[in-house]
Amino acid sequence: MSSDDRKSRLSRSAEQTRKESEEQLSLLQTITSELAAATDLSSALKIVLRHVCEKTGWALGQAWLPNEDGSILVCDSDWFCGEDDLQDFRVASEARHFERGIGLPGRVWESKQPAWVEDVVNDPNFPRSAAARTASLKTGVGIPILSGNQVIAVLEFFMRESRDQNERLVNVIAAVAAQLNLVMEQKHAVKELSRINEILQSILSNMGDGVIVADKYGNFLVFNPAAERMFGKGAMQMPPAEWSHHYGLYLPDKVTPFPHDQLPMTRSIRGEEVDNIEMFVRHEKAPHGLWTRITGRPLRGTDGNLLGGVIVCRDITQIKEEEFFRAGQSRVLEMIAADATLAEVLKSLVLLMEEQAEGLRCSILLLHRDGKHVRHGAAPNLPEAYVKAVDGAPIGPRNGSCGTAMFTRKPVVVTDVMSDPLWADYRGLARICRLSACWSTPIVSPQGEVLGSFAMYREEKRGPRPEEDRLTNIATHIAGIAIDRQRQHEILRERDARISLAAESADLAFWVLYPEGNAWMSDKGRRIYGFDSNLQLTCDLILSRIHPDERAAVKAEYDRGCSLHGTFESEHRLFLPYGKTRWVIMRGRCLQDEHGNLLETIGVTLDVSAQKQAALQVQVQREEMAHRNRVALMGEMTASFAHELNQPLTAIANNASAARRFLERGNMDPVLLPQLLQQMVADSQRAGEVIRGIRSLVRKETSEQNLLDLNSVITDTVRLVSSDILNRESVVTADLDPHLPQVPAALVQIQQVLLNLIINALDAVERLPPSERRIIISTRSDKGDVAEVSVRDFGIGLPKDRPDKVFDHFFSTKQRGMGMGLPIVRSIVEAHGGTITAENPPDRGARMVVRLPAARGHVQKSKAAA
Amino acid sequence: MSNSSEAQADEVCLVDDDVSVLQSMHYLLASEGFKVRPFNKAEDFLTYASKNRVPVVVTDIWMDQVTGLELLARLCAISPKTKVIVITAREDLAARATAMAIGPVAFFMKPFDDEKFIGAVRDALNRP
Repeated sequence: MSSDDRKSRLSRSAEQTRKESEEQLSLLQTITSELAAATDLSSALKIVLRHVCEKTGWALGQAWLPNEDGSILVCDSDWFCGEDDLQDFRVASEARHFERGIGLPGRVWESKQPAWVEDVVNDPNFPRSAAARTASLKTGVGIPILSGNQVIAVLEFFMRESRDQNERLVNVIAAVAAQLNLVMEQKHAVKELSRINEILQSILSNMGDGVIVADKYGNFLVFNPAAERMFGKGAMQMPPAEWSHHYGLYLPDKVTPFPHDQLPMTRSIRGEEVDNIEMFVRHEKAPHGLWTRITGRPLRGTDGNLLGGVIVCRDITQIKEEEFFRAGQSRVLEMIAADATLAEVLKSLVLLMEEQAEGLRCSILLLHRDGKHVRHGAAPNLPEAYVKAVDGAPIGPRNGSCGTAMFTRKPVVVTDVMSDPLWADYRGLARICRLSACWSTPIVSPQGEVLGSFAMYREEKRGPRPEEDRLTNIATHIAGIAIDRQRQHEILRERDARISLAAESADLAFWVLYPEGNAWMSDKGRRIYGFDSNLQLTCDLILSRIHPDERAAVKAEYDRGCSLHGTFESEHRLFLPYGKTRWVIMRGRCLQDEHGNLLETIGVTLDVSAQKQAALQVQVQREEMAHRNRVALMGEMTASFAHELNQPLTAIANNASAARRFLERGNMDPVLLPQLLQQMVADSQRAGEVIRGIRSLVRKETSEQNLLDLNSVITDTVRLVSSDILNRESVVTADLDPHLPQVPAALVQIQQVLLNLIINALDAVERLPPSERRIIISTRSDKGDVAEVSVRDFGIGLPKDRPDKVFDHFFSTKQRGMGMGLPIVRSIVEAHGGTITAENPPDRGARMVVRLPAARGHVQKSKAAA
Repeated sequence: MSNSSEAQADEVCLVDDDVSVLQSMHYLLASEGFKVRPFNKAEDFLTYASKNRVPVVVTDIWMDQVTGLELLARLCAISPKTKVIVITAREDLAARATAMAIGPVAFFMKPFDDEKFIGAVRDALNRP
């Protein structure tokens, strides 16, 4: 077709053009208005196909739609036919499909442009040309319906007449098709919308969380099934102020109704964002209540105005209960840690367990320490009668659930106490208590010792469920800790009590010595050692209390014992302030770490002064006899000296008196007077003889001499006066020369000498403070032919001008003294061929030195004999 | 008989194993005009006392052979009416207590006050 032809065809009369225009405009209006009522694509297509055919003279209109994967166009089921005999072509179309670029629909699909075919029968790209010839179709047009850049459908119109391509008509049809596209898109969106809505509905219906939407007046718009379950009922219209009451909403204290202005929904509606509010809910369908955690958001329009609110509620009852249960466990454990009484702890534990399950009752029984009997532990919700009956019952292989569980050390499950043989003896009780099932599990200490049992009771006949087994495990574990701890406490308490009782009654001091030199001592110990109660103790301080004479030895024994076997024991004296002495036994043990380093030394000190005194008493009593003999002997000697002296004095006095009387009376016999005078002279001489001649008196006894080892005589003599030394709180130290030669002497007389010197020395130190009441007895050999014994005290000393005055008769520095002791001593010493001297040592006190000649020829002999 | 009886009634027996003391007491009592019968040995005195009436005896209670206490005990049996004056050279409390129990009319420690001693002897003899 030439362009000129086209121009001529297009240049129609103005009227015809106007008419067409009007028709086309009317068509557009009709289709637009009708399409608005179309509910889906199919009806919209029908409307478009029909109106286009009717208004613009096409005999057949049909639509092609891309298949699912977009590879071909398929003939749509909707079509319009204005004439009757086009069925065959329609059938031919339905039998076909087109790929891109093939046939009229394929061409439009590919080009996305309308296509006009003036002679469909002879068109080279029209596969249905045969059918078109049969149907006598001549002209065809294809119009794409575009959505965006996509061809969503291709419309196809045919007529029998030959019709020039009319661009205007094509435009109109394209415009109509665009309308269709618009409708299609709208409809598509609505369909999408409804699908999303469906999904939303489905989500809301099936989700576990409760979702509630309300408008700004509090009218519920959404109340999903989960929310209905949670709050017991669905959406009901009421003022928000009634929500708490109506739906049973409470604060976490479970009793205070939730203030309506604080409800998450109320706040959301107000425009607040609310997160994780915990709420307790209780209603007929959940009489025990449930916990929910709520998050709320306000709903706003596109303009930002508040429209309402939405809340999402999550049921956290299980989480909450588990939380409470754990908190409960922690509380019980805290009670244990805080040393609450076992009864309180076990009661709390039982109550906690009972809270965890409906209709559950529990009890805890303890195993008596004899391992044979049951003791009541805790059973707050079991009848008193049952508790009393069980307390003290024996355990055994057929002794109810608990007695058997403790006996066999295994859980015992009795589902029906009325028929189970284990409960034969307890059926009456079970009936009273309305118990049916009883499951008992032994409570075992970490060391594997059975401490008791935990039992669960139910009124229905059944065994434990897994949840109940879990509770049992927790309960037995916690109870085990509690009971074990209490037992340990009891044991410690008893041990403490026993120790302190023993310590108090046995005068036992506890002490700890640390390697750094610090020390600790119990109060009793401080009293024994004479330490002030707030004095900071050290090892040295304690050591300083040991008697100076024994200190070194005790220290040596301590070091030796600790290094050898980690223990030591020592019996010694303490030397306390104000001169008190105590006898103690000290026992200690060294504690070491795994590397063998000394951590501390712990031990006890036992005050044995009383026992020692008693023991000494026995020893002393025996010695006392000997001692008394000595003292008596001393008195006897003194007395006999006095007697010896008094006799001549009496005679002199009598004679003088007689002479005086004769003379006074003038009947003096001249012969008698000289006799009297002579007698007086003789008696005077005799008196002098007595005083001077004690030596001769002594000599009588000195005849029985033996070879003496002065060292052992000294030791014996000191022992003889040990009770005096102890009583006078004095200390006598012997420093003896082991090479001292023997001396020939009368044992009794030498003892007499030593006793005299020691007693004198004790008297001399009597007024000094006890720490200074020291006496040192030492021996030494002088060139082997003299044995020297010295007794030194630290008393007031001897007369400065003439120390040897002490040997004078009747001289005494003592108030009670007769002044006879030392003269006798000197007599004895001299009778043995020895000497005695008295001197004042440079510092203070007195020293008496006795020197006795050694046995020359006899030494060897006596040693050989010994 | 009456004379001899009279003489015996004035007689003072002395017992002391110390000869010089015995003699000096003899002189002392003689100077006052007492008739004195001295005994150096307790046994001799007891023999005499068993055969004669002894109104007064002055005795030491510390003697070698027979103690004064023994003497007193035996004298009680032989001559219960004899009055005893005890003299001793030593203060022996036990002996003194025993002697006092037997009931001496006087007790003297040697050396003693002559006047008191003579007074005691005179009292014992009931002599003015």
